[in-house]
Order: sequence, then C-alpha cells, then structure tokens
Amino acid sequence: MIPFRAALFSSLVLLAAPVCAHETAGKYGGRVTDAGSYHVELVTKGQTVDVYLLDGSEKPVPAAGFKATAILVIDGKPARVALAPADANRLTGQAQVPLNAAPKGAVQLTAPDGATASGKFN
Amino acid sequence: MSSPIAAALRALAVTLALLVAGQASAHEGHDHGAPPPPVSKTIAPRGEAVSEAFELVAVPRDGTLQLYLDRFRTGEPVTGATVEVDTPDGPKTAQATAERSYTLPAPWLSKPGHHDLLVTVTAGDVVDVMPVSLDLPAPAAAVAAPAPVGAVQTVSDSVRAAVPEITHGLRERLAKQDPVLLTVAAGSFLLGILLMLVARGRRRVPVIAVLAITATVLLSATAFAHGDEDHGAEQKPIQGAALIERAPGGVAPTDLAQRLADGSVFVPKPTQRLLELRTAMTEAGTFSRTIGLPGRVIPNPNASGVVQSSVGGRLSPPASGLFPRLGTPVKKGDVLAYVTPPVARVDVSDMRQRQGELDQQIAIVQRRVERFSKLATSGAVAQVQLDEAQDELKGLRDRRTALDRIRSEPEPLIAPVDGVVAEASATAGQMANAGQMIFQIVDPKNLWVEALSFDALTAGQHATARLPDGRTFELTYQGSGLADRNQAIPVQFAIEGDASGLRVGQFLTVLAITDGQLSGLALPRAAVVRTSNGQDVVYEHTTAERYEARQVRIEPLDGNRVLIGGGIGPGKRVVVQGAELLDQVR
Repeated sequence: MIPFRAALFSSLVLLAAPVCAHETAGKYGGRVTDAGSYHVELVTKGQTVDVYLLDGSEKPVPAAGFKATAILVIDGKPARVALAPADANRLTGQAQVPLNAAPKGAVQLTAPDGATASGKFN
Repeated sequence: MSSPIAAALRALAVTLALLVAGQASAHEGHDHGAPPPPVSKTIAPRGEAVSEAFELVAVPRDGTLQLYLDRFRTGEPVTGATVEVDTPDGPKTAQATAERSYTLPAPWLSKPGHHDLLVTVTAGDVVDVMPVSLDLPAPAAAVAAPAPVGAVQTVSDSVRAAVPEITHGLRERLAKQDPVLLTVAAGSFLLGILLMLVARGRRRVPVIAVLAITATVLLSATAFAHGDEDHGAEQKPIQGAALIERAPGGVAPTDLAQRLADGSVFVPKPTQRLLELRTAMTEAGTFSRTIGLPGRVIPNPNASGVVQSSVGGRLSPPASGLFPRLGTPVKKGDVLAYVTPPVARVDVSDMRQRQGELDQQIAIVQRRVERFSKLATSGAVAQVQLDEAQDELKGLRDRRTALDRIRSEPEPLIAPVDGVVAEASATAGQMANAGQMIFQIVDPKNLWVEALSFDALTAGQHATARLPDGRTFELTYQGSGLADRNQAIPVQFAIEGDASGLRVGQFLTVLAITDGQLSGLALPRAAVVRTSNGQDVVYEHTTAERYEARQVRIEPLDGNRVLIGGGIGPGKRVVVQGAELLDQVR
C-alpha cells in the first residue's frame, strides 16, 4: 500500500508545477526572474551588481558554492560581470562602468554541483 | 476470492501513477511558458531563445554549436552580427558561415545533460543577451543502468519502450518473412497455451494471466530490439532528405521538416533559410471596403492619336525609305508615310486641256504686257492698263504652277503626338481609302484604364488595378460616363507611375475603394493558403521552428492584401512569404 500511495502523491506533486510571474519586483528593491529551479533578484546600484538567490517559493538559498555571471547591456554595449558569493544568499560583483537602474541582460548561475541555470531580465 | 483481482488492480494503479510521474519528471520543472519539446525522434536536441528583436536557435552538431539568428518579427536571417557565447570554457565568439548562421567549436557539448548558455548578440545598435538551454540526451549505452524500482515499473517501462519498436519493425519483418519472427511468434503462442493450462489447474487465473502476457511481450520486445540494429544499417535515404544536408560521418540526417502529430509543422532553421520563409506581425486596423471591377487598358485619349489619310491614294514610305514598324518610337510632326492621290484618265485630259488654255492665255497676256510696257513710256497706253495686264499674267502663272504641283505632290501623313506605333497597316504601293487609319500612336507611359462599374463612383476615390500575374498599379479617377454600357457605367482611371509592360486592350481587375469601412487584420494575399479541403489557412510562427496552421475567414481588401475577418488575433507572427512551400511539408 505504501508504494501505491507514495506514487500517487508524487505524481500529483509533479503534475502541479508551480506557476508564477516572469519578472516581478523583489524584496531587495530589484527585479526577480526565473533561473532554472531558482528565482534570482537582480539589484544594480552604481557599479555594484548584486544577485540574491531564492528558491521557487521566494525563500533565500545560501549562496555559498555558487558562481554567477551577469551580462548586462549598458549604453548599447554588453558588459560582463563575474559574481562571487558574499553573505547569506547574495552574490556580488563590480562592473567596469556605472549601471543604470534597470539594465537589460541575463544572469547565469552555476550551482555547487556544476548544474547551470540562467535568467533573463528585460 | 476478491484478493487476486484487488492485487491486479493495485498493480495497475501503481503502474499508471508511475507512468504519469515519469512524464512529469521528464519535463524539467519550472520552465513554465516554454514551448513543448519536439516529440519526433528525427529531431536533434536544440535550444531556442527569443527576445523583442531576435529569435535564436542553437543546435549541437558534430562537436560544434550551430547558432541561427533571425529577426523576431520578420524571420529574416541576421547576418554580420557579433555572437558571443558564454561557454564553460569562457566567452567565445561564433564565426559566421555561408549559410547565414554562426558556428562555434564546442567540445564541451560531448557531455550529456543540461547546458545553459548565455548568448550575447550585437547586431548594429541592437544588443541582446539571450539565455539558451540545451538538454542533451545520454547515449543509448548510458541509459542501461535502471534505478532500483519495483518490478512492475520495470515491466511497464520495457512495455512502453518496446511498443514503438514492435510497431516499427514488425511490418518490415513480416514483409521479409523473417524466420526469427515466425519462431518468436510460435514460441510465444505455445508458451501462452502452456501457462494457461497450468493456470487452469491452479485456479489463480488473474496473476498467472498477467505473468503470461508480460513474459510474452518481454520476449517479443527483446527479439525485435535485437533486430532493429540491422534495420538501421540498411535504411534507405529518406525522401525529401535533399532539403537538409546529410551530416558528415555517416550520421543519419536528424532535422527534417515535418508535420508533427499535433498538426503543427516543424521546419528546422536551415530549411527556413532555404524556403526563404518570412513573417509579419498581425495588426488590427480599420480599412475601407473595396469592390472589384472588370477593366481594360486603354490609351490616354490626350496622349495618343491615329494617323488617317484624308484622300484616297497610293501609300509610299517617307524620306527614310521605311515605314515605321510596330513599336517604333515617333515624335510629334514626324512624317510617317505619303499618300499619292491617283489621277483619273478623264481628269488627266481635263488637266491637259486646262494646261493648254492657261499656256495660251499666258502667251497672249505676256505679249500684251510687253507691248504695253513699250507704249506706256510714250504715254500712248495708260499706266493702269499695263498694271492690269501684269496682274493678269501673274495670276495665270500662279494657276499654272498650282496645276503642276497638284499633279506631282503627295499628301504627307504626320504623327499627331509623341509615342510608339501601336498599330501599323502600311505597305508600299497599297491603296489607302480616304479616312482609313494607317497608324495608331500610343504613349506607353501614359495609359488609362476603363472599368465597368455598377455603382457610380465618386471623384477622388482611390483605386488599384491588379493584373492576372499579380502586379498592381495605382489608379487615379478621371471620370465616369453617364450613358450606360452593358448596363454598367464606364469609369476611367489614369495609371499612376510606371505602366511599362502593359498593353492596350489588356484585361485587369480594378479594385476601387467604397465608403464602407471594415475592421480586421490586413495580410498580404500570399500569406493565405488554400488547403486541399478548400479552407483558407494562414501559418502562425509559434516558436522558433514551429508553424501552426490557423483557419481564417478572408475578405478581399485590395490588390495585394486580404482582410482576415476571424481565426487569428493581432500580435501574431504570420508567414507572409513561402506559405505555399510550408503547406507542402508532410
């Protein structure tokens, strides 16, 4: 009986995939988008690029072990920013040029197990 | 009694649940809104991304990554762009190829699994960053390690895997009368009968029956799976493979344009480039209704003319010695031919008589003038008499000269306007009747259209003319008659712009705008395809390599556009070029 119930339950969980908006305002003042199974919030201020790592239900995910690259379009030119884990669920990096408030671009995450995911900001 | 049936039911429920769960996990969670993955086995793994400006498809092929970059709205390939890919080895720039794509050596793609790439596209002043996901399936050998799951799922998995294999190979094997197939079939049948006999003895029918079926299917599956290898080796080239280049190294072509089970058409990017497929965004708008009128090309009455002979006579060529032929450009005032009126025998004798009389009178008056001029000096004759005699002589000489000229001078036929000779019926020596048209001269750049309308069109209305070959011309209203012709009103239009290639008398369709307004989506006529069942469809570009036919209701709008009354909404990408070719994909 146990496999039967477990299988039924797991199939129900898998079928009920989480549905959420593509790009929303985040609690750190940035924009949130999907990156694979994670949600990432992009906050740009001056030359600093911060990416907050969240799971599907907006819970913080520890950033330790993660790597990330942000490619942001600034004044019609792509700028590549390498991001390293800082505190808690934040990855941070410095851009060469000052950024505007909501640049277009994408963030690519590399999890500690080598899996990658990317999210797009319009 | 009921416990064996309940056990069988429970096993069935677990199998179903696991099947559903397996499908759900295959769809890597959380990429909601993503297009469904291709369902056909003949499509290679690929990743695609769209942005407002671009549409990108990445296909791994033979250790390289092929990137196809198109404009999102039009589907036009983007050439000359800088395409930078963030690979596990760091950022790399892809090289443009002759097939209007980009290629990048990608040794890291040999590893199966999920790959995420960031592609930075710089085309002119547009920069876009596009994330592309690639899911590479593991090679067949790597799948062999099964997870420790219940025996029921193993059975169900093997059944699921075996069914397509069976159906795939069975027909060919039957055709070949394969001894292996016959042996397996006979063996399975015998095994089934044996098991049934045993089961009858033991009265545990349901469980034994399930076991028997499972064993039979498993045996057949293994037999067919083995046979499938040599089936692949003697596979013939697929019809239509000319559309796709065969990958080097003996790898079977994987990307074929095809109609998928759900009715959509899968067209890989190389084929899209070959077919020159282009799309356009549908936009709702309000348009004026048009009516189609039968029309025909006429020369502009003010820029054409006829050359007629005013007298009957014999035609002779002009000074150049050649009559102007059809298509010869002529200028106003050019002499095209001469007409020499014939002189009848009676007239000739009459003229000779008159000539003699005149000569005689001239001689008499001549002598009188000479005499008077001598006497006038002495005053014996009045000066007045001398003057009168001189005037008389002059008049007689004029009459004599005119008589000569009439006999010798032909009538020149002169071009009344500039243009081209549209009709010529002149032959040297031909006798032309008085009033006969010898030449028609038309200005080919200045043509009109005469249409027959059942409604009175008002001045200032816009109209277009469409030829049977699809060319269109803008028309300007010139006027309409009040007298009906064939119970319709003749309406005349001037053709705007270049009217080259048109002939006088050619039939065309005039599309005149009426006052009625229509709202809907305007699409080029070429976007609409009539299917074999007579319905009109347009192809919507749903994802990068998929097109879906949408049934639409169309109404004529003007020469090269139709109005979509229903069936597709605004903001969709619709194929406007190559739709006919797309419709041929089976």
